Amino acid sequence: MDHFFAEVVYFAPAALFNIYFAAASIPLGFVFAVFLALGKDSRNPLLSRLSRGYIYAFRGSPLFIQFFMFYSLALSLNISVWKPMGISWFVLHPLFIGPLVLILNTSAYTAEIFHGALRAVPRGEIEAARAYGMSWPQQFRQVIWPNLIRLAWPAYTNEVVFLFHATAIVYFALPVIGQQKDLMITAKELVERDYNAFMHFSIAALYFLAVSLVVFFLFGLVYQRLMRHMPSRPRMRFAPKWLR
Amino acid sequence: MKKTLFAAAAILALTSAANAQEVVRIGTEGAYAPWNFMDDAGKPAGFEIDLGNAICAEAKLTCEFVVNDWDSIIPNLLAGNYDVIMAGMSITDERRETIDFSDNYFPADPSRFAAEAGETLDLNALEGKRIGVQGGTIQAAYAQEHFGANNTVVSFTTADQAMADLAAGNLDTILADGAYLEPVITASNGAFEFVGEDILIGDGYAAGLRKDEPELKGKINAALETLKKNGTLDKLIAQWFDGRGPFFAS
Amino acid sequence: MSEDIAFWLSYLTNGKHLTWYASFQFTIFAAVAGGILAVVFGLIGATLKNSRYLPLRLIGTFYSSIVRGVPDVLFFLFFPLAFEQAVEWIWASQVCTPEMIAAQSAAWPPCKAANWILTTPEYLILASVSLGLVYGAFATNVIHGAMRSVPHGQLEAARAYGMSTGQVLWRVQIRQMWVYALPGLSNVWMLIIKATSLLSLLQIADIVLWADRLGAPNFLPAVGLVHDDWRWRYYLVLFVFYILVTLISEKGFNALMRRAGRGMLNEGHH
Repeated sequence: MDHFFAEVVYFAPAALFNIYFAAASIPLGFVFAVFLALGKDSRNPLLSRLSRGYIYAFRGSPLFIQFFMFYSLALSLNISVWKPMGISWFVLHPLFIGPLVLILNTSAYTAEIFHGALRAVPRGEIEAARAYGMSWPQQFRQVIWPNLIRLAWPAYTNEVVFLFHATAIVYFALPVIGQQKDLMITAKELVERDYNAFMHFSIAALYFLAVSLVVFFLFGLVYQRLMRHMPSRPRMRFAPKWLR
Repeated sequence: MKKTLFAAAAILALTSAANAQEVVRIGTEGAYAPWNFMDDAGKPAGFEIDLGNAICAEAKLTCEFVVNDWDSIIPNLLAGNYDVIMAGMSITDERRETIDFSDNYFPADPSRFAAEAGETLDLNALEGKRIGVQGGTIQAAYAQEHFGANNTVVSFTTADQAMADLAAGNLDTILADGAYLEPVITASNGAFEFVGEDILIGDGYAAGLRKDEPELKGKINAALETLKKNGTLDKLIAQWFDGRGPFFAS
Repeated sequence: MSEDIAFWLSYLTNGKHLTWYASFQFTIFAAVAGGILAVVFGLIGATLKNSRYLPLRLIGTFYSSIVRGVPDVLFFLFFPLAFEQAVEWIWASQVCTPEMIAAQSAAWPPCKAANWILTTPEYLILASVSLGLVYGAFATNVIHGAMRSVPHGQLEAARAYGMSTGQVLWRVQIRQMWVYALPGLSNVWMLIIKATSLLSLLQIADIVLWADRLGAPNFLPAVGLVHDDWRWRYYLVLFVFYILVTLISEKGFNALMRRAGRGMLNEGHH
């Protein structure tokens, strides 16, 4: 049992890498997704096609391949682009290119969620806003966005949990710098040493499960706040769904 | 339930026992030219494949090559997925704790730094350099221990990936087996050079075995002895490593 | 010009490339077998979750929520290893003598005789079962929801005809549930397709491994064509391949849903 707790502590620094990867990609992925969702809904055919194609490509291919592809692509641009700009060490660093690919990936999934929510915003409310003479930015801020985020929040919570799960494959595809190892690499190296798959993988799994629960809890609090106008506020349960 | 499990176990036992008698499985990486690589036919080829086949012919064994990633090559040997490792593996004391080695089939060879032409390295005051290594190698451990504090050590899954990053300018240097780097540097026509000083780690290259296989080890060593004496091994080394040697002919 | 074409044609059809093309069979096998198993495990899980007995219900719920709370890749690495060890452990209890166990130097297996050699076919089957187990947890959720969507009247009618509980479940509820489950199952299928990219982590020489080997820069003429780092091109091919598979699957599922929904739409008109 002591051994178990010692190992839980041993895994803690590794968990920080997974948390970092997720935390670094959530904000930008969120913003990018809003633009993509609006783009997909846009009346401009070029913008709509581009957003649609982007979302389709990134949802339709494995993240694992995306990691390999973008790393080798960035590498092949190194001498002609990154080196002259002096940002070579930075661009190809897993702590940069990891979140970058995760942002590209999660924004596609999130955009699909937001787009669905956007289309579910009650028509009547938008028409009412127009009748009041609101400009489009006003309509968006006052009517569309509050509705959209409330509708999308449970699904978005799911996406964040799966994004966190997706950080498990970062170091299977990217080089490892020094001792910067995440939960999966740490568990894999320990298993390769003593074959105790049950112990090492379980501890890594516990961390993933625990962080998933924390995400559900925190996002649930936000959801409560988003829904504070409702007479009985709906609760969110821990139930990762098949949205990804 | 228990009966079916037992039946399944018995079938497994029969099939694998039959396998164990017939075929010696040799684990290799297939991404470490000229030691071992995948040739244009998509099959393992290289110095160690030729040597492995020569050993098996000599020892009258039927052999089969199995490709396995480098980072799990020792665990999967121990787990019994293959019986021998021939993958450019150096003998080290640390590895001796977990696995056994045959006699060496390539002499101890220094690990060397390769870099783009014009780069200089002062190993005594190495600072702020990006050093590429293959993860799980003796060089990876050495670089982390000696240069890890003041430099960035980047580990890759295969040596070829490290080479790709060096060629693309993402690394200042890579530390690898001299015998792996030498053909590459020769072929690069001056684009890459050896830099810094050589580092001697490891006691030569040998086949890795599980510790409880003295019989197989004996067969391999006897075959190696013959191949060393009759010059076959030296010929293979000269053939795959730009005419190096002879090392073993008496 | 024609020389160029001939050169590229022969390069793209050399044995190494042919092996790469052939390795797509592993990906397709894992996807199909994983998909079928996911539906099987999904049906089992949903039936458990629907059960009248609390322990069975708990098992179903536990399975579907725990597996979904953990990354697929973790389970994908864990399950084949755990299964191998379990088999070897049971086997060891039959064949290992104390002397054999004492003679064993490695940490695992317990004794040399109880060693199960895993090669590509075994790994492929274990990989498919892992995919089935992981995505079966997602399918459990989908099928559970779909079973509840079957109109109550139909089940009551079946009972009124004197069908037993099992008959109602098998002949009516499961048959009628597909229409509601198809959109969700199509989503699970897309997840499985994408998860097949992980096969190389189990030492299967799959499309990803070959893309790396083919694209890695080569400096030595003895090894093959000397070229720079071409990896991103090969990965781009895989990127496009997966998008195409998704596209085709989507079309297939849409056709299936239209077909399955025919009777339902008529019902709406009455």
